[in-house]
Amino acid sequence: MGKITYKRLKGSQNMRQRLLLATLKSTPVLIEDIHAGDTLPGLRPHEISLLRLFEKLTDDCLIEINETGTKLKYKPGIIVGGSHLVHDCGFSRAIGYFLEPLILLGLFARKTLVIILKGITNDSKDPSVDTFRSTTFPLLRHFGVPSEGLKLEIKSRGVSPHGGGEVHLTIPTVQHLTATMWTDEGMVKRIRGEAFTTRVSIQLGNEMIYAARGIFNRLLPDVYIASDYRKRLEAGNSPGYGISLVAETTSGCCISADTTVSYPRGDEEEDIEDEGKKELIPAADVGEKLASVLLEEIEKGGVVDSTHQGLLFLLCALCPKDVSKVRVGKLSPYGIETLREIRDFLDVQFVIKPDPSTGTVILKCWGSGMKNLSRKTT
Amino acid sequence: MAMDSGADGQSHKAHRSRHSGASAKKKTKARNKDQNSDQKQQNPKAFAFRSNAKAKRLQSRALPPFVVVVQGPPQVDVSLNFSSCLYVFILFRKAVELRLPCLMWDSLNLLGKQRRLQFVECPNDINGMIDAAKFADLALLLIDGSYGFEMETFEFLNILQVHGFPKVMGVLTHLDNFEDVKKLKKTKQRLRHRFWTEIYDGAKLFYLSGLIHGKYPKREVHNLARFISVMKFPPLLWRTSHPYILVDRFEDVTPPERVQMNSKCDRNVTLYGYLRGCNLKKGTKVHIAGVGDFSLAGVTGLSDPCPLPSAAKKKGLRGKEKLFYAPMSGFGDLLYDKDAVYININDHFVQYSKVDEMGGTTNKGNKRDVGEALVKSLQTIKNPIDEKLEKSKISLFSQNPNSSLEAEDHNRGSDEAPKLIRDIEPLKQYQSNGEEDESEFDLDGSESSDQDEGVSEGAMLKNEGRNFEEGNADASERLGRVKEQVEFHNGRKRRKAIFGDGVDHSNLKSTDEENEGDEDDDDDDDNNEGEDDRSNEDNESCSGSEFSEGDEEDLKSEDGMGNISKWRASLVERASKKQNINLMQLVYGKSTSTLNTSANEVKDDSENEESDEDEFFKPKGQRAKNSIEGLDGGNINTEDCSKSTKFSELKNWKEEEVYESVRDRFVTGDWSKGALRNQMSEAKTEEDDMDGDFEDLETGEKYESHQKDDSSNGGIQKEDDDAIEERRLKKLALRAKFDAQYPFIKEETDKQNGGKFHRSQANDSGYYDKLKEETELQKQINIAELEDLDETTRLEIEGFRTGMYLRLEVQDVPFEMIEYFDPCHPILVGGIGLGEENIGYMQTRLKRHRWHKKVLKTRDPIIVSIGWRRYQTTPVYAIEDQNGRHRMLKYTPEHMHCLAMFWGPLAPPKTGVLAVQNLSNNQAAFRIIATAYVLEFNHAARIVKKIKLVGYPCKIFKKTALIKDMFTSDLEVARGIRGQVKKAAKEEIGNQPKKKGGQAREGIARCTFEDRILMSDIVFLRAWTQVEVPQFYNPLTTSLQPRQKTWQGMKTVAELRREHNLPIPVNKDSLYKLIERKPRNFNPLVIPKALQADLPFESKPKNIPHQKRPLLEDRRAVVMEPHERKVHALVQHLQLIRNDKMKKRKLKEEQKRKEVEAQRAKDEQVLRKRRREERQERYREQDKLKKKIRRHVEA
Repeated sequence: MGKITYKRLKGSQNMRQRLLLATLKSTPVLIEDIHAGDTLPGLRPHEISLLRLFEKLTDDCLIEINETGTKLKYKPGIIVGGSHLVHDCGFSRAIGYFLEPLILLGLFARKTLVIILKGITNDSKDPSVDTFRSTTFPLLRHFGVPSEGLKLEIKSRGVSPHGGGEVHLTIPTVQHLTATMWTDEGMVKRIRGEAFTTRVSIQLGNEMIYAARGIFNRLLPDVYIASDYRKRLEAGNSPGYGISLVAETTSGCCISADTTVSYPRGDEEEDIEDEGKKELIPAADVGEKLASVLLEEIEKGGVVDSTHQGLLFLLCALCPKDVSKVRVGKLSPYGIETLREIRDFLDVQFVIKPDPSTGTVILKCWGSGMKNLSRKTT
Repeated sequence: MAMDSGADGQSHKAHRSRHSGASAKKKTKARNKDQNSDQKQQNPKAFAFRSNAKAKRLQSRALPPFVVVVQGPPQVDVSLNFSSCLYVFILFRKAVELRLPCLMWDSLNLLGKQRRLQFVECPNDINGMIDAAKFADLALLLIDGSYGFEMETFEFLNILQVHGFPKVMGVLTHLDNFEDVKKLKKTKQRLRHRFWTEIYDGAKLFYLSGLIHGKYPKREVHNLARFISVMKFPPLLWRTSHPYILVDRFEDVTPPERVQMNSKCDRNVTLYGYLRGCNLKKGTKVHIAGVGDFSLAGVTGLSDPCPLPSAAKKKGLRGKEKLFYAPMSGFGDLLYDKDAVYININDHFVQYSKVDEMGGTTNKGNKRDVGEALVKSLQTIKNPIDEKLEKSKISLFSQNPNSSLEAEDHNRGSDEAPKLIRDIEPLKQYQSNGEEDESEFDLDGSESSDQDEGVSEGAMLKNEGRNFEEGNADASERLGRVKEQVEFHNGRKRRKAIFGDGVDHSNLKSTDEENEGDEDDDDDDDNNEGEDDRSNEDNESCSGSEFSEGDEEDLKSEDGMGNISKWRASLVERASKKQNINLMQLVYGKSTSTLNTSANEVKDDSENEESDEDEFFKPKGQRAKNSIEGLDGGNINTEDCSKSTKFSELKNWKEEEVYESVRDRFVTGDWSKGALRNQMSEAKTEEDDMDGDFEDLETGEKYESHQKDDSSNGGIQKEDDDAIEERRLKKLALRAKFDAQYPFIKEETDKQNGGKFHRSQANDSGYYDKLKEETELQKQINIAELEDLDETTRLEIEGFRTGMYLRLEVQDVPFEMIEYFDPCHPILVGGIGLGEENIGYMQTRLKRHRWHKKVLKTRDPIIVSIGWRRYQTTPVYAIEDQNGRHRMLKYTPEHMHCLAMFWGPLAPPKTGVLAVQNLSNNQAAFRIIATAYVLEFNHAARIVKKIKLVGYPCKIFKKTALIKDMFTSDLEVARGIRGQVKKAAKEEIGNQPKKKGGQAREGIARCTFEDRILMSDIVFLRAWTQVEVPQFYNPLTTSLQPRQKTWQGMKTVAELRREHNLPIPVNKDSLYKLIERKPRNFNPLVIPKALQADLPFESKPKNIPHQKRPLLEDRRAVVMEPHERKVHALVQHLQLIRNDKMKKRKLKEEQKRKEVEAQRAKDEQVLRKRRREERQERYREQDKLKKKIRRHVEA
């Protein structure tokens, strides 16, 4: 009863975190000026797709978008989850974009979430599905999520522009997370990885692996990069290749990096055309560069890589009312934005203390006391 | 003991230390270890407290007092017991002299030696009982022994059970009414066993014999007190996850003008009490029981009004330490607020005069002169306290260097200045409240340091500040003469005493001394270490916000360009400190702060270039800043992307020196360096807290070596810390184990059914201990982690800690709360958790209470108590069918659980729910109608009920027919059909219809059937229809009306009918009536002619015409001959004779048989008698024989 008071926000930035936190805390939000100044105003296809996904997972949620798509009203419902769900993620962003909020939603859902996601599995913008499997899931374990229930199967790979990938995701529910003291980054003991090719010669994959190994070999003998060369139906609709690498440390931290090379999407082509049709980066360079990226991530320190900072902070903030302490390398812009959103939505502030001797940052926070309210008791 | 023996002069054998064996080894080991550690202990400070503040904070952390709720039915003298308890607990003679049977205030904080208790008397209405059950840590149930249990006791027990079941102890009173000892014993036993069935076997029931001179016997009450003082309190789930405050003081702080203008305006109130449960953050919403939800306008921590005594071991409490705090109870004269002290003066003492004989009436002999001044100032005081506060705020700034503010203002522009003030304000507020006097001291301290240093600032500035301050004081004094602040509260007159600066110090003497000591210390420090230390000291004393401090420093650095060496010396340290702050501000800060910090950054940069020390703080902060500026730059539509790697800016990792830089991050690299890297931070952060030893480091080189030392130190230190921590944990575990083994009380009553009970309790306490230990561990970790933060940040991060005495300010409270405030009814303020302010449908598993006489009806309003809240709502009862469908029930089942769905503010699953229907006190029966717990919540209700529609065909096609009278409109048809397709398929088997299509006319549906139906058929449609759960809830506002009045909410239908004298509507069709079944008449069988023709002759129906006249034989008459007639007559006679004879013979035989039977019975009797005698004789013989044989054998 009564009028709903909406939390007013502006712009499309951090749409994912905002929607996620709004749903978890069940705060209605009203977002204005979404791409208002652009030539194509309004919500982007992937944002709409994201809203659809939220609608699918929740019960009785209300989404209102105005005609131009620049204004969004979102009244969250109760996260239900459930199996036999299928979502088409579209081609504007990769599945990784959707997976990041989806993981947290799934943890706080009523029923175990089993969902099939279709679209682009590997992309240069978003973390690839391989990274989720190798890095994000182990990360969740630190917060008391049972690792048995977490599953991500890659049925087929798809790269931009035409996608065609499919993954099956299973996320268990938890009653609540557990606070963690996670500051020991340890030392890198092994490097694993996976190189894939779709609709291109498998030779490219081998080149990537060879090049990447070349960088690591001087530092560590335990490097193993698997190959995953997809054919026919499993290879999606577009040609492309990519590699993802994970460095595991002695204390169980996973630091990852990944990239994918493929032909860009339709709308981006226009920008590129004035430079002339760009050739794809050669596979050997990709391997080498990505290995360097991973080394830079390792050099930055911290228990997670820069990509996972946002997720890490969210997890910390969603813990029970206890102190969590984590160490990250330099704060990424995305991480900072996440911290702000957490402050705005959950009223949780982090103590951020740089550790000058190692060039890392130590963050502490007092959890918000989030509990899975939608889970049914027996 | 030892002393005594020594005095006796008895000589004992001296102790010989062992030189070999296990214990000797242990000792040598320990000694060695000690020595080792000593050798390695290059930092002697490692084991001391690093900072004053930290030590203080650790000490001050205390549990809030436990709440003891004393509950009893109206006739059982609660208050009497209450006062007796009080009497023993604090041995506070005065309290007893006050004659306290009328001690009606709800709460009283008492101080024992190791625990504090807050006694609360439970009000005697159901609302009060529900609220009391929510905050009770221990419930004392007073039971009139001479009368037996009363319903209130059971009601309260039930409420307790639903809301988490805190500890319960029964207290039997009025036992002196029994003259017969045996009867007393019996009664005791009976009551005890009844009590046990209600709680658990072995639950403690205490006996108080009776009143002697209006008080309970001292010994008994003392025992009771002992029981309470050793009691353990289990953690309760709801309360550990929600902050709550039992308000022990309550003030109306609405500006009096507003009240005068409109006496019914919304009020602002302040609520005081210990914070319990979990930490309270500033932004939390709260629920005031019986009033409603409010957001907190302000939270401030006050100093503990009733602190625990020092930890020194001694027996009992000394007079000064026997504290009690009962602000609303009417005794005690002083009240402390954050900015004032209230003195209560009885009305007849008050004489308004300017005569200087006032000192006598203030009755505080030791500070007569002060009191005098005080009262005088009281009488002349004028300005409201908030005005005063504002003044003091300004004076704070005046103590900070003014020019810094100005300089900043230049940078910032005028519109951002207010923001700065706002940023600072909360902190300032906190301090001035939290440590009442300390803040005062802080100000002074910093002031004095200002005076002392005088190096760069110069005297001018100081003077300026001084002048400014004095000016303020003058102003306030001038203002102060205008009016007097006298408040009337509940008929009590009280006045605010607002302290001027001068009065303050002299008044709070005890604390003042300490302060002075500290002040001196600080001064010394300042003198010794000069300017560099200033920043440290500032940090420690937490004066001013960090960033104003930063400004100050910046300014100073600019000012003090002359002596660069000094400035440079502390640069590193400062930089690290500043950076820490800046990073947080970078992330969270408002636009002002980011601007500010960016300015700082730039400065740092330039400085770095000068001093070539850039490897250390340039990278992170600056890059972060850059990125942030990019984000802050107004682009609100940046792409949402978690990956931020740029391939273009990669280093060439093939190069030797580049990859060597990460060499140590791999297992193939240097392990020791790697290990150091992880530990350094801890050591470092701890180092930060210390007074820095960094003065000597000038160049980068030196710095590095120092750093290395430090880190190695840190490592060892860390280990030591670890060891200490480990030991502590071990101790904790040991203690827990010990506690589990020896449950706290073993009393004689348990002996009877010992085994079972002991086991159960041991288990219980073991579980609780484990739980407690875990929470304690986590708490320790939390404390350890947040220890090194300064007060403000800590507050931001974790909120106010439990055990703190808080002052909550709530605005816009309905005036009724003030008007109808009743000190007998405790006010409970509960924090609302995440997602609990939302409203929706809740599904609960509900069971009617077995003592409630009726079943509950769907949609009848009930009052539920969930979490902190009480509200009225209309539930719909349901039950889950086999297939998961929720079928509506009109009434609750009699002995089963059912589901109840209702609308209201949400509570997390597993929360207990209590339902009552009638709140009135004069109701004899049990008032609790049902208990439940929350299963889940939804935004939509999904309950269905059966519907059966009846229709008649109006036109029949082959297999479809148009059915009328089933629906009343087309719309209904459309709705019905959509939901029906699947269901119909199931019903194909019987003669049930199956329905599909659209419609012909209004309300006529076209239906498809298995077979063609007849016009005479009746068509049924069985379906499920959604039931709407009413979206209604009505919070119980019992605090907003006189307490005597019963709260009246929505009435039940039955009540309304009774009121309006309406009959229960009767649906004639629903009545049961006798079923009449007429025998059915079938028409004769008609065989078609064609068929008839084919039949064989026998089977053919014969057409025999019916004969009208009877046959000839039947019609003729018989005429006898005379002879024949004679014969016939004779035969008849003979027959008659024979009949007669036979009759007589039968009679005779009957008689004979009877005689024989009688004879036989007689014989039988005789025979039986004889047989019995024979048998007796025989047995006797046998027995004799047996005996004889035995005797023989024995012989």
